[in-house]
Amino acid sequence: MGKVLLEASGISKAFPGVKALDEVSLQVESGQIVALVGHNGSGKSTLVKILAGVYQADAGVITTPGGGEPGAGKHDGLHFIHQDLGLIPMLTAVENIDLSRQHGRRSLLPFKSRREQARARELVAQFGAHFNVNIPVVALSPAERTIVAIARALDGWTSHDNVLVLDEPTAALQEEEVRKLFAAVRRVVAAGAGVIVISHRLDEVVELADRVVVLRDGRLVADQTRGNFDKKTLVQLIAGVEESPEVALAAHNSGGDVMLSLRGLSCAEIKGLDLEVRAGEIVGVTGLLGSGMEQIGGAVFGSIPSTGEVLVGGVPVKRGAPKAAVSAGVGFVPSDRRRFGSVITMNARENLTLPQLRPLRNALGSISISRERDESTEWMNRVDVKPRGSGERTFSLFSGGNQQKVIIAKWMRNRPRVLVLEEPTQGVDVGAQSSIHALIARVASEGAAVLVSSSDTKELVSLCHRVVVLHDGVIARTFEGVDLTESNVLKTTLDPMALADSSMNGGPSNG
Amino acid sequence: MAEIDSNVQPAVEAFEEAVSGESMGHKLRRTLGFRNISAIWILIGIVVVFSAIIPQKFLQAGVWRSLLDANAVTGMTALALIIPLAAGVFNLAIGIQVGAGSIFIGWLLVNMGMSVPVSLVLAGVFGVLIGLVTAWLIVRIRIDSFIATLGVSSLLAAFITAISSGRQILGLPESFAKFGIASIAGITFPVIALIVVAFIVWYLLERTPSGRRVYATGGNIEAARLSGINTSAVIYGSLAACGLLTALGGVVLSAKLANADPTVGPGYLVPAFTAAFLGSTQFKQGRFNVWGTMVSVFVLALGVKGLQLWGAPPWISDAFNGFSLLVAVGLAKFQRNSESFKAIRRTLRMDKPPAAAVESSPG
Repeated sequence: MGKVLLEASGISKAFPGVKALDEVSLQVESGQIVALVGHNGSGKSTLVKILAGVYQADAGVITTPGGGEPGAGKHDGLHFIHQDLGLIPMLTAVENIDLSRQHGRRSLLPFKSRREQARARELVAQFGAHFNVNIPVVALSPAERTIVAIARALDGWTSHDNVLVLDEPTAALQEEEVRKLFAAVRRVVAAGAGVIVISHRLDEVVELADRVVVLRDGRLVADQTRGNFDKKTLVQLIAGVEESPEVALAAHNSGGDVMLSLRGLSCAEIKGLDLEVRAGEIVGVTGLLGSGMEQIGGAVFGSIPSTGEVLVGGVPVKRGAPKAAVSAGVGFVPSDRRRFGSVITMNARENLTLPQLRPLRNALGSISISRERDESTEWMNRVDVKPRGSGERTFSLFSGGNQQKVIIAKWMRNRPRVLVLEEPTQGVDVGAQSSIHALIARVASEGAAVLVSSSDTKELVSLCHRVVVLHDGVIARTFEGVDLTESNVLKTTLDPMALADSSMNGGPSNG
Repeated sequence: MAEIDSNVQPAVEAFEEAVSGESMGHKLRRTLGFRNISAIWILIGIVVVFSAIIPQKFLQAGVWRSLLDANAVTGMTALALIIPLAAGVFNLAIGIQVGAGSIFIGWLLVNMGMSVPVSLVLAGVFGVLIGLVTAWLIVRIRIDSFIATLGVSSLLAAFITAISSGRQILGLPESFAKFGIASIAGITFPVIALIVVAFIVWYLLERTPSGRRVYATGGNIEAARLSGINTSAVIYGSLAACGLLTALGGVVLSAKLANADPTVGPGYLVPAFTAAFLGSTQFKQGRFNVWGTMVSVFVLALGVKGLQLWGAPPWISDAFNGFSLLVAVGLAKFQRNSESFKAIRRTLRMDKPPAAAVESSPG
């Protein structure tokens, strides 16, 4: 048993309407790699944010390695490496590592450039890595960049009694790269530090972690040391007990014609995807970070570069041109509402009519504001935006749920043949979630093909006729009918290779 | 090439090896490649072309000497500009700041009758103040740097007209004006000042922690802040330094002209931006840098000069500068977006001697 570096006990945190963390405890010892796992909404990220000092816990005690409060900067002995790494792309590894160092009065004196470079090389070599530390970090591989970020976090350590927190460090990494990174992490703990790794990739967790802490619905459901867990038990722990199969939308609209078909669709994360969605059908897409789940919406709509074919009603749509997609009858509700889904400085009325202004023109070719007002009010009432008659209000002042309703209404007004939605209820309160789901179902029942990508398994299972799980850019498995349960989808998401696993209900319904 | 393309993964590894354990010859080729030092290749091209078509005019020694001297102020302005640009601040007031420095020192010397040393100090303080006020607008009031500097430039234009009544200030003291024409070993004083300034700016940006913080702030202000950098201080500092250098540029300009002209400032805006952006594509893969900027100033000046000697109409210098700015920014954009780094990687891979690539790819 090593020395305990970080101890959090009895941590609770509630947000309005949800108990995010309920009496969760976590301990990290010197020389230990602790994996923190759990699915979306398990409370994992809340716990990390509490450790980082972003949130205050409602109850519980945290003892940090440095003795200071969480979030006390250099004094808490906790070092966080987030997925985006926080490096400056145009600077070299040497320069990035040096950035956080305080130079005080030496600000205008020259670097001890030889020593600095030797130091960077030495830090990097500690991880068994050898790469050019004098080229901009954008030209390095993702694993090398991660190593630079870790090296930078380690640079200021005076002792090894520190804890490094890695948030999804391998999401962007290839297998070979993951190996390099793991070797680096092992060296950090061998020197006596503690490491917390947050990951969805259970193979990696099993390979790397000395201890696994599993959260589900804000509770600690397991805290196991090495040898007491394997992938299968972890999947079981994360997904929870088998629920009674809930057949949400048994009325599979198989009578509709194929409205949307993807043939060999490929982009950065997706490799040759084939998928068909019938009119009236709602198809869900899920998967881990990097599986292609986050890119499929943009690839179909043409807002990110892709190759392959997208056919709407049998007619190919020009790639990479949202305008062509809109004319073909495709609507897109992106996950980042504020940046991509709307123009938040315009009012609700203007947002609602943006994709199709032509019918609003009067004889002189200018927009008839009164007609626009009538039409947008009608649509906002139809999708139940509250308060009533708020069409003139600036979009940024609406709640997330109401914004999302307006964005969906904007495409409904276009009579969509295909509606693509990304994380449709992210950051939306519980009440609005069900009404957004109802809206999506209505769009489908009016004859559109609907494609929903989401990391919220529960949402997909209750909303969709069919759910596709992506892994490494290809379809790992498709669930429909009685197989479509939250636990099945979640297990496949976490462990896509267990295709032949007979413990699951039924066999693969799609190769 | 085909076998490399069909074996992307091994080739990528080969590239990674190439980067970490780069051979001398390969490194040399990359250093001297068009992508790295295009301005120098363009310079050579300009010299070759004009030497061929108008040798008797273009190859006179006087042309070259006057070229250096005539562009000392442009060079200083461009150097002043790259400091805020590196920190991510667009300074559209850069030209008029030079003009304001020029008129201000004239006004101090002639209208106020102050001595040369006092006037020099006051002009410097004036320049720094302009920079600090601009930084305050950007950092505190949170006005976008584009708009803030555009506003400041109009205020400075008003200031220039107000103190000069829109007329040249003539009769600058002899002791001041002689700096504009004095020379040491055949190199005029303005050129010496430019060289000294270039070394100081290079040193500050490339060799000191402060310079590093400037690049970090311009590269990713959020990441810089999270690295413990006081990004506000960086913006204040870079604009103050820029203000000081533009004031110096203005002083040199007044000394060269032996008068202060209220109309000259804005003319430095486009050449300075062109040189800064073309310079950013040189040597440093997309970073604003001193030597790239210096080379660019003279490449652009030589291009204009050659065209003028060849008999091009007077509008050629505006046309050439505008065209070059667009090309330079286009190039800089191309280098900066991440796709282009893939292109650089690809190019590097292809630069490798074929034997090495085949060796390291098993297929």
